[in-house]
Amino acid sequence: MQTILRAKNVQKVFGTKGNLYKALEDIDLEIKEGEFIGIMGPSGAGKSTLLNILSTIDTPSSGEIMIANQNIVRMNEEQLSDFRRNKLGFIFQDYNLLDTLTVKENILLPLALSKVPANEIEKRVNEIADTFGIREILDKYPYHISGGQKQRTAASRAIVANPSLILADEPTGALDSKSATSLLESLNALNEQNQSTIMMVTHDAYAASFCKRVLFIKDGRTYTEIHKNHQSRQEFFQKILDVLASLGGGH
Amino acid sequence: MTLFSIARKNIRQNFTNYFLYFTSMIFNIVIYFTFVTLKYNETFQATSDASPKISSAFSGAAVVLMVFVAIFIWYSNSFFTRKRKKEVGLYSLLGVRKKQIGRMLFYENFIMGILALIIGILLGPVLSKFFVSILMGVMGFEAIGDFSISLAAIVNTIMVFSLITIITSFQGYRLIYRFKLIELFQADKEGEQEPKSSFIMALLSVILVGIGYWLALQNLMESNAWKEMGLMVTPLVILATVILGTYFLFSTLTVYLLKMSRKNKRSYWKGINLIGTSQLLYRIKGNARTLTIIAVLSATTLTAVGTAYSLYYNNRSNVELANPISMMFINKDKNVTNQVRDIFSNNKNHDVIYHKSIPTLQINADVTTLKNNLFSNEMMYTVISVNDFNTLAKVQKRIDKLSLMGNEAAALDAGYYEGMSPNYIGSTISLKVNDRVENITFKSLKKYNVLNYYTASTTLVVSDQLFTQLGKETNSVKMEVYEITNEDEAKQLTKDIQLILPDEARFSSFYADYSAGMESSGLMIFMGGFLGLVFLAATGSIIYFKQLTEANSDKGRYEILHKIGVNKKEVKRSIAKQVLFVFALPLIAGIAHCSVALTALSRLMQTSLVIPVVICMGVYTCIYIVYYFLTVNAYYKIVTK
Ligand SMILES: Nc1ncnc2c1ncn2[C@@H]1O[C@H](COP(=O)(O)OP(=O)(O)OP(=O)(O)O)[C@@H](O)[C@H]1O
Ligand SMILES: [Mg+2]
Repeated sequence: MQTILRAKNVQKVFGTKGNLYKALEDIDLEIKEGEFIGIMGPSGAGKSTLLNILSTIDTPSSGEIMIANQNIVRMNEEQLSDFRRNKLGFIFQDYNLLDTLTVKENILLPLALSKVPANEIEKRVNEIADTFGIREILDKYPYHISGGQKQRTAASRAIVANPSLILADEPTGALDSKSATSLLESLNALNEQNQSTIMMVTHDAYAASFCKRVLFIKDGRTYTEIHKNHQSRQEFFQKILDVLASLGGGH
Repeated sequence: MTLFSIARKNIRQNFTNYFLYFTSMIFNIVIYFTFVTLKYNETFQATSDASPKISSAFSGAAVVLMVFVAIFIWYSNSFFTRKRKKEVGLYSLLGVRKKQIGRMLFYENFIMGILALIIGILLGPVLSKFFVSILMGVMGFEAIGDFSISLAAIVNTIMVFSLITIITSFQGYRLIYRFKLIELFQADKEGEQEPKSSFIMALLSVILVGIGYWLALQNLMESNAWKEMGLMVTPLVILATVILGTYFLFSTLTVYLLKMSRKNKRSYWKGINLIGTSQLLYRIKGNARTLTIIAVLSATTLTAVGTAYSLYYNNRSNVELANPISMMFINKDKNVTNQVRDIFSNNKNHDVIYHKSIPTLQINADVTTLKNNLFSNEMMYTVISVNDFNTLAKVQKRIDKLSLMGNEAAALDAGYYEGMSPNYIGSTISLKVNDRVENITFKSLKKYNVLNYYTASTTLVVSDQLFTQLGKETNSVKMEVYEITNEDEAKQLTKDIQLILPDEARFSSFYADYSAGMESSGLMIFMGGFLGLVFLAATGSIIYFKQLTEANSDKGRYEILHKIGVNKKEVKRSIAKQVLFVFALPLIAGIAHCSVALTALSRLMQTSLVIPVVICMGVYTCIYIVYYFLTVNAYYKIVTK
């Protein structure tokens, strides 16, 4: 299998002189095509920071990052925009839906930006909406739908353009267990059927148990990594809880 | 911590929010100050005391300015308090007593007002001098000789704005009592929901504007509608229908059209269009009032400036029509005529372009056949030969030539007014010479004269043979015509010649009429220009600031777009389109309203205002375009920061 993402010695320092804070110290990471990887760690460990850097929204202080054989650290603004549009899909911690657009318009936005023909858009949106079960709310505005529906809308938007890599920051954070499960199952299906590569940051061991591999981060460093391999989800879930216990810090 | 210090701290921290309010206050103070300074200016006062027309125009302008200042301050104040509502709600939620919050807001407003007043008073003298000298330079107007700052103007400004500050401060104090807590918290969401559109309302808006336009374009004398409602009420009806129609136009028709455009998925779902259109839709309802105010202000400005400028602009052509020749008089006395010739040849400032002595006949004519009830039965005409006419027409650069045979004649009537003046062509009148009459028939009519109206009045041209024949039977009079260079500056020369000529010489000059016209239209234009500039700056600033506040609240949205891969070029294009919409709408409406108003006016005045008005609109639009680009750039900077 091909490597889709390779990060080497990634560091991120916040703040100005005299008041420096190292959010990421030396992270190495490799993700292969078709993987479903979870990132876990205590609050403040640097998970969101890492995700933002991988998603080219933020830049690392040092280090190399290759995604789909392109070095994103060396790209200019324009190239980064195109790259994000064509290769990446995001599900943000705080949804990031546009409140001026209906659910449907939010979902089709990436397609519209890539100038996909209107009838093709219509088809894709309907498919996705069925996958996530949000067909009835397509014409509503974000402030009229629930948190779970928002999260599913955000997920729909992230995958509608068939990106090479889907990045999700706590996608189940605001969901009840039922909606969380259905979202996770959708992601899982996406991963298994479409071979989509997914990287998901989460606090929730249950959510993490859907992944094929979980990476633990602590104080800006890689702590450990576990693979699901042939274990059942229940067994994997238990293993994750064990690591979290050894990690300490609020879990 | 005292309330006063909390208030002070609030101001410091919320400075960007306050900025709009603060600058608009200062702007108003400076403008008001400039106007009051003019009012108290001695030269200005002397001029306006002398002419009731000017002084009434001036008090009219004062009222307009007052209303405007009130609207502008009210507007920016409400805008500013709206931004604070949530914060106020939070204080209340945290358990601060209403009375304390009220007092805090009072202090805040008060500090701001007084600060703005101090800065305005400091800036006022400098800026007003600057404004006035620019305006006077542009208009070449010298009525306000020295422009000095008077203490009275300062005191007046301080009093007016202190009062305004106290009123707005009380408004601030009452804010917490006026709204429920929940309303304070939802203030940000106001006007930010997708508006409903109704075809009927959209139609109504068009109908309302249509009614207003139709009424305005009616012929005052013949229209039944005007007769029914009366001359006083109809203009008010026009104003009300047009303003209301404009408001509905902006609040419903635009929504309707935007929604229609959204139905066309092929273009709507293409790139960034999706964002621009939805953003506009989302905002338009909240913007409708602002857009209406701006459209109406633009229309008022354009109409006022257009009218003033038309008077000014048409002055030269009107005076030229009445005085095609720089100076002209009847040769009554050879000595005096020679003296005048010497004055001309000794003069160094003006060259004589041509000088001619035109033989003319002063003849009474029986004009009953012209059937004009404004004329008596007998009229005195100046008669010239066709040869002299052709010579004069040629030197006056008219590509016009007459050829008359036998008893054919031509009328030169510079004051010709369709429907009021007689129908010359084809009519026959009889000239009275000695005891007999000579019938002449009009073959042609020229709506100009080649001689000055005051000296020659309406002139008849006859064939050379007839002229010689008539000349034998009546006294011929020589008229001296002088065309000179720089005729509009011939103040001294005109005075010198006037001095030695007797009244019977019927001396007429371009300069005398021209300067009289300039004096009266100059002040009008000065005032029109002043108010126009104020309104223009104000409307531009309202849109500018409003767009920037919107930019601030759109920031999050553009951040999301950036995250999902919209590049900067697309963002800029989208902003440019969106802002264009907001700028173009009121400008187009304003220009349309103004065109109708001025069409009505030009019908009333029977003159064409097209050129001066188009110039005004052009300038206005150009300045607007500058504002547009400034806004787009600032907007772009804010959302991409
Ligand atoms: N823009 C910033 N400036 C300064 N410090 C920052 C900035 N963003 C994040 N940090 C710091 O970096 C550290 C890592 O933050 P990050 O958001 O990545 O944590 P996280 O692992 O996502 O936590 P959580 O699980 O609570 O979301 C935190 O200590 C945070 O305070
Ligand atoms: Mg986080």
